[in-house]
Amino acid sequence: MTVLHRIVSVLRWLIYRNSAERDLNDEVHAFLDMAAADKVRNGAPPGDARRLAILDLGGIEPTKERVRTYRYGALLDEITRDVRYAFRMCVKTPGFTFVVVLTLALGVGANTAIFSLIDALMLRWLPVANPQDLVQLKFRTPEARGPAAESFSYPIVGALADRTEIFSGVAGFSAFVFNVGAPGSIVRVPGAFVTGAYYETLGLNRAMGRLLARDDDQRGAPLVAVISDGWWARQFERAPEVVGQTILVNGVPVTIVGVSPRGFVGTNVGTIADMTLPVAALPSVSPEAAPLLGPGNFWLRVVARPAPGVSAAQATARLATVWPQIAEPLIAPHWSASRRKAMIEATFQLTPGGTGWTYLRTLYVRPLLLLMAVAVLVLLVASANVASLLLARASARQREIAVRLAIGASRGRVVRQLVIESGLLSLMGAAVAILLAWRSGRLLVSMIALGSSPVAFDLTPNVHILGFTSIVAIVTALVFGVVPALQATAVDPSPVLKDEMQTSSSRSRVLPSLVTAQVALSLVLLVGAGLFVRTLQNLHDVDPGFQPRGVLLVDLGARRSALPGVLLDEVRRVPGVVSASLSTHTPLSGSIWSEPAVPAGQPVPERDNAFFVGAGSRFFETMQIRLLAGREFRDQDGADRPAVAIVNQRFAERFFPGQTAVGQHLSATVRGQRRDLEIVGLVANTNAAGLRAAAPATVYVAYTQLSGDFPTTMEIRAGAPIGQVMSGVRQVLQPKLPSAPIEVRALSTQVDATIVQERMMATIAGGFGLLALAIACIGLYGLLAYSVARRTKEIGIRMALGAQRSRVMGLVLGRATRLVVIGIAIGLPAAWAVSRLVESMLFGLKPADPATIIGAVVLLAVAAQIAAYVPAWRAARVDPLAALRHE
Amino acid sequence: MEKLDIPQGTLDLMILTILAREPMHGYGISQRLAVLSRDHFHVNPGSLFPSLYRLEQDGKLKAEWRPTENNRRAKYYRLTASGRRQLEQHRERWNRVSFAVTSVLEGA
Repeated sequence: MTVLHRIVSVLRWLIYRNSAERDLNDEVHAFLDMAAADKVRNGAPPGDARRLAILDLGGIEPTKERVRTYRYGALLDEITRDVRYAFRMCVKTPGFTFVVVLTLALGVGANTAIFSLIDALMLRWLPVANPQDLVQLKFRTPEARGPAAESFSYPIVGALADRTEIFSGVAGFSAFVFNVGAPGSIVRVPGAFVTGAYYETLGLNRAMGRLLARDDDQRGAPLVAVISDGWWARQFERAPEVVGQTILVNGVPVTIVGVSPRGFVGTNVGTIADMTLPVAALPSVSPEAAPLLGPGNFWLRVVARPAPGVSAAQATARLATVWPQIAEPLIAPHWSASRRKAMIEATFQLTPGGTGWTYLRTLYVRPLLLLMAVAVLVLLVASANVASLLLARASARQREIAVRLAIGASRGRVVRQLVIESGLLSLMGAAVAILLAWRSGRLLVSMIALGSSPVAFDLTPNVHILGFTSIVAIVTALVFGVVPALQATAVDPSPVLKDEMQTSSSRSRVLPSLVTAQVALSLVLLVGAGLFVRTLQNLHDVDPGFQPRGVLLVDLGARRSALPGVLLDEVRRVPGVVSASLSTHTPLSGSIWSEPAVPAGQPVPERDNAFFVGAGSRFFETMQIRLLAGREFRDQDGADRPAVAIVNQRFAERFFPGQTAVGQHLSATVRGQRRDLEIVGLVANTNAAGLRAAAPATVYVAYTQLSGDFPTTMEIRAGAPIGQVMSGVRQVLQPKLPSAPIEVRALSTQVDATIVQERMMATIAGGFGLLALAIACIGLYGLLAYSVARRTKEIGIRMALGAQRSRVMGLVLGRATRLVVIGIAIGLPAAWAVSRLVESMLFGLKPADPATIIGAVVLLAVAAQIAAYVPAWRAARVDPLAALRHE
Repeated sequence: MEKLDIPQGTLDLMILTILAREPMHGYGISQRLAVLSRDHFHVNPGSLFPSLYRLEQDGKLKAEWRPTENNRRAKYYRLTASGRRQLEQHRERWNRVSFAVTSVLEGA
């Protein structure tokens, strides 16, 4: 009781610390008043009485201090002693400590790792002034479905920046890769195009030199750039002369005017912008992308800062009034009337923008939250495991605890001691967990970064991560520490002291149920992991209609018209190259081109209805897309020849059902021009829009018959080792195309990039599932080993009475089987319920996939049997004589 | 008169004894202690208050603010049931200890 009182009093002190102080103060003063009054009554001069009383007291503050020391000091002393004792216990049983700390580290570490990613992706403020005030602008047209659009045109951003009554600053930005340097020594520098008010809006002003300003973002303004602190250090070794220096960007001289503050790498979370140029510089630096400045291209993400005193809600309301008035001249004139009307009726949404923008967020929010939940389940398994270990040890320490209780320690005191012990274990686990998470962080990021663009995340433990891990560790310690502590102290000391083998029956129920819980949770995790692994497998097994293995891609930018025709022939002559071709688009690149196309004679619809790909000769041979009828494109299909097309099966089935497509004619709009195309070939479907999506109806047009600039990619099928062919191709192309570094990549990487999410889910969920399984098996092993050790005497008696070794083994294995069966019985419905939540993320299988469930159950059962075998074998080896003599 | 040191562990017993008769504030306890010990013991508030707080924390005493007879406010302590039990135990133990000590001294 006394400890309980004391804890209550400390809690009360923590909560009412001030009132406790006031109380003490009042009491001391009341004492003084009374003492002084007595002194006056005894003849002391009234003016001196109080002073004399204080003298008697020995000073007010020292008196109060003694009370305080007494009140809290004693408790602190006791806790210090408990911590020291707990530490000694940990050192004394290194094996136990190791297993517990490792289990906790894995459980907590899983959570910390996933949380680190969530933190980096979604929670961290940009290093700018008052990030909490920033908003991200989005809009939604009346008939649009899905999430609100996040990209705006350059004219719209400019018009919004002029509404100073709503925003004090509006910043548009878009990532861009620059080729920096003179021909021969060109490096690719990740950067961004930003609007003039970018740095002003973010409230960044401290810089070497100056940052970009509104004047820089004017047509005809001198070409200027701001570089990042990191790039300044790496490229220029922090030389101050960098300001004013001119560098070649895409072959055009650009003056560096300043270096942005350290730590700021742009507003695109996960990518680093080492160089920012004003949008107005785009036509000079990248002429083929000049149309981006027009009203028809929506490509800038927008972050804004509401004007002082304007709330986000007010800004939204004002924007709603202003937009219809200013929209008209900002919308592309060539848009159809209905599309223009929809844009004028668009509504704006303002969401918190202080954490920057990244496409990764929409992609990974759901998987990451799901993985967080998975990690929590793993932690539950680990906690249950540690709880059972502590419980088992508490039994071993029953004698020690009984002695402490017998010599007068209150139960609360012993509980506190045990809880402090688990707290210490938990802290050690958390420390290792942070280390583990930090180390494995790069692995997690690399899983996301398999996509087309590199991902840069700083996962160094920060305040968020440390705070999160500490809370997790404390909660965990309470979960796994309190129950065993209460159990262990719920004993009557005297019988324990007389006879060791006394167990409260409730404890023998708690232990197995903890193991059962671990089995059930593990099954849930294994089934979940199985579903994701099978999803990934099914995606791998999809026949995309082309053969990505062995194909290399070289992006040649929009330089089609300038591309020498002999270049392709030279590449084809490189040793190891089987075939090579050119095209405007490659399957699963994420970039698509669509146009309207119908059988000749039908009216051409306003909306696009087919995928278009410009393909050169030998394209289908290189990609190994099956030619079903007709012919491939030929070099002879020149601009002066009749326009030809090749369609895929899906297109033929839709527009020429039951007919031969080859020989028919199409009416199509190709880049705004009405064309008549003769179908000369029919090819197999390809999953060009994603492995999960059905193959789209596709029209291939002759690359050599296209006019104007088109993005161009070279495809190369390699018959020799890819690395060798890669360097051969680079050697041939680089001297001919000196203005940009030639990057050769594998088509299979491009295909893999489309299933990054699924791979991440399969890998991490799979890893966590196996982790949980391992922990549960350790738990089962521990329980059985412990009970065998405790029942050595009983087993000895059974064997002395003639029980066979196999029967003793069966006894232990039977117990294991019972626990596992109960666990599976509880886990199956839970797994079924949980798997329905992830249905939309699966591919090619239902949540209740029998193969997955059976696989998980079998895996669990086998692992459990293995875990149970060792204690069972040990039970069977019990020497009856030794066992009986032992007691 | 020469003041005596209060023997270790006996202050609690004396506080409990004084409070067993009636609830009292800190100053009253110190006065009563002086009177009852015929002025041999003078307890300093620096020792008295910690003892009172400990006893209160342990649930032996309960405190409340009340007006005194002179219309001041003072914190009055009274014995709880648990305090009363402790008083019985300790008084009994003290009797045995002092009897034992006296026996030894007289027998020597």
